[in-house]
Parts: sequence; C-alpha cells; structure tokens
Amino acid sequence: MGKSWLRDYIIKRLIYAVIIAWGIVTITFVLVRVGPSSPADKYLANMAASGQDVSQITTAIEARYGVDKPIFEQYADYMVNLFQWDWGWSFSTSMPVIDLIKTHWIYSFQLILLSSLFAAFLGILIGIYSAVKQYTKIDYTATFLSFIGISIPNFWLGVMLILLFSVKLGLFKAYYDTTLPLFSLENLKALVLPVITLGTGMLAGYVRYTRSAMLDNLRKGFVTTARAKGLPERTVIGKHAFRNAILPLFTIIMFDLGSIVFGGAYLTEIVFGIPGLGQISFNAIFADDYPVVVAVTLIGTFLILMINLITDVAYTYLDPRIRYD
Amino acid sequence: MGLETPSIPRAIFKVMNNTILGVSHLKTYFFTRRGVVKAVDGIDFELKRGECLCLVGESGCGKTVTALSILGLIDSPPGRIIDGEVRYNNLDLVKCSPTQLRRIRGKEIAIIFQDAQSALNPVFTIGDQIVEQIRLHLGMKYTEARDKAMTLLKEMGIPSVERAMSYYPHQLSGGMKQRAMIAMSLSCDPQVLIADEPTTAVDVTIKAQILDIFHELKAKRQMSLIFITHDLGVVAEIGDRAVVIYGGKVVEMAPVSKIIGNPKHPYTAGLIDCLPDISKTTDRLASIPGTTPNPIELPQGCPFHPRCHKAMEICSQQQPPEVRISEGHEVSCHLYQ
Repeated sequence: MGKSWLRDYIIKRLIYAVIIAWGIVTITFVLVRVGPSSPADKYLANMAASGQDVSQITTAIEARYGVDKPIFEQYADYMVNLFQWDWGWSFSTSMPVIDLIKTHWIYSFQLILLSSLFAAFLGILIGIYSAVKQYTKIDYTATFLSFIGISIPNFWLGVMLILLFSVKLGLFKAYYDTTLPLFSLENLKALVLPVITLGTGMLAGYVRYTRSAMLDNLRKGFVTTARAKGLPERTVIGKHAFRNAILPLFTIIMFDLGSIVFGGAYLTEIVFGIPGLGQISFNAIFADDYPVVVAVTLIGTFLILMINLITDVAYTYLDPRIRYD
Repeated sequence: MGLETPSIPRAIFKVMNNTILGVSHLKTYFFTRRGVVKAVDGIDFELKRGECLCLVGESGCGKTVTALSILGLIDSPPGRIIDGEVRYNNLDLVKCSPTQLRRIRGKEIAIIFQDAQSALNPVFTIGDQIVEQIRLHLGMKYTEARDKAMTLLKEMGIPSVERAMSYYPHQLSGGMKQRAMIAMSLSCDPQVLIADEPTTAVDVTIKAQILDIFHELKAKRQMSLIFITHDLGVVAEIGDRAVVIYGGKVVEMAPVSKIIGNPKHPYTAGLIDCLPDISKTTDRLASIPGTTPNPIELPQGCPFHPRCHKAMEICSQQQPPEVRISEGHEVSCHLYQ
C-alpha cells in the first residue's frame, strides 16, 4: 500500500511551518526591541560614575549595533541577512550568532537526549509493570512515587541533588565542567545529576501515562485472543498490548521533547552551569543581546514544529487506521 | 499422499475414545466489590469426538465464561475457577501448568470470539496475526507459514488472498474479519474448536455463510465443536447435542432433535416458544416473563423458579436434581421427579 497522500501532507505542513516560524521571528524581533532597556544599559552605570556623557555613549553604542535605525529598516535588514544564512552579530559575546550557536547547541542536545532516553526507558518499563501488577503494593508504590515526581519542580530538585550528592557526599561535581571531552565517561558522569533533574518529572509522567494506556489495552479482546493463541505472557503484553498503548505515549514523549527545549532544559542548564542554548539565551536576555534572543527562539520554534510533524507522520505508521487526507 | 492410515470405522472409534473434552463441576466466580458473581456454578458436560455441542442460553447465563474457563482465559483478578476440572487428553486444564496450557491454547483447542472486530489486533495485518500463531506452534519458517495462512484464508472464501494478508482488520468487512478469525483459529489444526457466538455480530446473509463454513468443518475435518449461541435456529441447523444453561447451571442436556421437538425443562420450552413462526401472524412475539437473575444474588432453589409458570413450592426451596428422561436426555427440574 502506497501512502501517496502522505507526501502532499508533509509538503503542506512544511509550508505551514515556514509561515509559523516567520510569524514567531517577527513577534520576537519586535518584542525585544520595544522594551525599555537597551544593549547600552550595562555600560551606562560605569560611564555615569566616571562623569562621562551618558546619552552620547548610548547613541554611539546603539549606532554600532545598528539598533538606532527605524525598526522596519532593522527588520528588513535582518530578514534579508537571515535568508543568506547570516544570523547577525551577538553584541554581548562579540561573535557571529551562528558561531555562538554552533559551539553551544551540543550541550543542550546531549542533556535533552539523555534525559529523554532515561525518562522514556525507565518510565515505560515501570508503567508497564505497574499496569500488569495493578492494585498490588508495587503498583501503589509506583503510582505514589510518580505523583511525587510530577509535583517536584526540577530547578528545586537540581539544587537539592547538588546539596546532597555534591556538597554532602561529594560524589559529583556541583558544576558542569566544560573542559571535558564530549564522548567520555567523565562527561557522562558530569551529566548524571542534570539528567536526573531534567528527567525525573518526565519519567514520573511516563509511568502514569504508560500505566493508564496499558490498563486500557490489557482488557481488550485482542489481548484475550493473543492469550488464546497460546502466546507467552511476555509477547501478549510486550507486543499485542503495548503496541496499542504506544500511540498516546509517543505523543507525550514527543511533546515533552519539544517543550523541554524551552522549559526544563533551560532551567537545568542554568542550575548546573551547562553552557547550552538555554544558558546563552538566558544571558542574552539580560544583556539585551537581541540577535541571540531571536535566533534561539527561532531554533526552538523550528524544533517544535519539526517534532510535531514527525509525530504526526509517525502516527500513520504506529496506527494504520490514521489517515490525513 | 504418503502413508494412508487405516480407516477405523467411526462406530468402533467412538467406543475406543468417545470423549475428547470433559467439563465437570466447573465453578468460575468473579469476586467483585459488589459481591461474588457466580457466573458458572457447577457445569458438567462432555464433548464427544467429532460432534457439535451447542451451549445455549440467554446473555449472562455463563456460556462465554464457560468457554473462557476451559482455556484458562478468565481475567484474574477478579475471576477465578474455584472448583471443577476440564479434562483433555488425561490432563486437567484447570490444574496444569501455564506452560502446558499455552501449548494447548491455539494448537489443540482453539477459540473463535463473538466480535472479530475487537478480537483482532488493530495494529497488525491479518497475515501477521495468522502467521504468528502458525510459527509459534508448528515451528515453520516465515514463508511456509505464510503459504499455509493463505491456503486457509482461501478455504474460508476470502477473495484475493495475497492482498487480504496485508490488510489491517479495519480494512475488512465484518464477515471477512470473522472468516479471518476462523482461519486463524484453524491454523494449527486444533482438535477442539470453541466458537463463541460467531454469528451474533454479523448480519443475516453473512451468518448463513459463516454457518456454511462450520458445516464444512464438521463434514470435512470431523471437527469437535463447542458452539455457543443464544439462537435456537442456529442450534437446530448445526448442533448434534445441546446443553441449555441458566444462571450458571445446566438445566437440560439432550440431542438437538429432542431439545427442539420435546423440551422438558420449562426454560427450554420457553426459549423454543420464543422462536417466531413465519407461517403464523401474531401481533406480539412470545417471550419468557422477567429477566435473567442478578448473578450476585441467584434465587434459592432452582434459579429459574421466579420466571417459571410451572413453579411449585419445592422449586424455591431445593435445587432440582438431575433427572434422566431417556438415553442422553437429562433435565434438572422438580417436575420430573
């Protein structure tokens, strides 16, 4: 069976994605510039203290960064540059934005990837077990712990983990060491606390979603059929029931993957001093480094749009009944 | 054909080993928050080799639970077989190990469910679902199993088999799904086939076609069949013997001709009166007054007495004994003591 309608659907969604991304860039671009602060602000206190003319300095700095021009002109310039793959100049770090992102994206990526894998793998496993052992002590314990896990804010958890494992026990470093090579055990060890911090909330959520999705399916007719065929319980649960429970889980996992780029990962990076996109975006906001703020927002938007598209396309393979035409 | 097994006259065969599956004193209860549901409360019957035994009764009388209990497919909790045995080949299926039971399920005793729509897994193709069972029990290679599956689907009258193999259940009509389900249950040449209302969820024309398939199974494969239905028309058409069940108990057991022609139990007689007669014009269809009893609080004595127009005082006090009317015709009713 061909899925010719799927190609048209993907093209349509890509066109929407470009339009939405453009809208978000425009809104962010305007918002950061209409605020009362200016990239010159951080110099002003020192300047004023040493008796220099503040307004002159402001004008000079704003002229240097090109933010003195009318906003429409700035916007036109930015868009033209963007289409030539020029993401602008970072005021606060004095380097092209594209280079800044190239150096820092990997730190976010490794954190998000490891946390998601950790949460999805453990969460699904515990969830299935909990559903199969419904109303036993194991199930009650898992449900209770996952309730706690969902309720803990991850920045608080991060601070508590640092206090316990770094300060009291000295097992892990309290601060992420950027000098470590990426593909090394030391780096993995340095990521243990951040991954637990970012992953716990997701893990707890997946336990609950998996449990309820499995319970929905474990009593279905086809599960009885699978048993009646003589299949071992492992196959009945792992294949026949779980394969039907995947759809809602997949939705949640992919949604989380999109949303932690702006949410949990952001905070976790700041708590542990991981120089990822969240960290540079955080610094850029306080430094009024407009091009970086817009660029990180654009990347996040694009990621979420792509993750949503991948999710919707994957649905048609996970559940053959789903069609979009 | 290679070696030809010497054909044993069926009469002798019957004497040698008549019973293939025996159910005795089977009790399956469901322990719910609202009370104990005695879905099956002491059912006895024997399935003879090559016969079609019909389990008859209204919804909720325990027919399906009986079928599921035979293969140990009761969801536990809340259900549990609390007593009785299911004898198959010197093995008690109630007490045997899960591994032994798994080897019997689908291979020796197969089951067809009422609603193929929900009994087939929506995310796997028909082909994959049949092949899975063949490979599990017969240890065939994928291509061999695929060929076997296609042969079976063809036998069941499914057109363009090659394509049907790659279809998902939702792409097939109700009748086709039921045929695929039957093909799947036959895939490992089972000794016993349990069909749980296979014609209830399909419309009348499909029902006739499905019944034809069962006729053929009887004629060609000498299949030992347990056919569960509430439809006495179907019983008359396909059954050799019938077991009438009410309130989780057997109320009457007899060859089909006697059940239809000379029912003894007032419940059986009532069921037969309910069959509409096309030659007569009536304003209302006959029915048995009242509804099936709440299985949590089954009435004392004979479970049917509140609805029985022949009920006597003793009926509400004592459980009726099993009375033998004639050879192979047994009824549980105080009327015949």
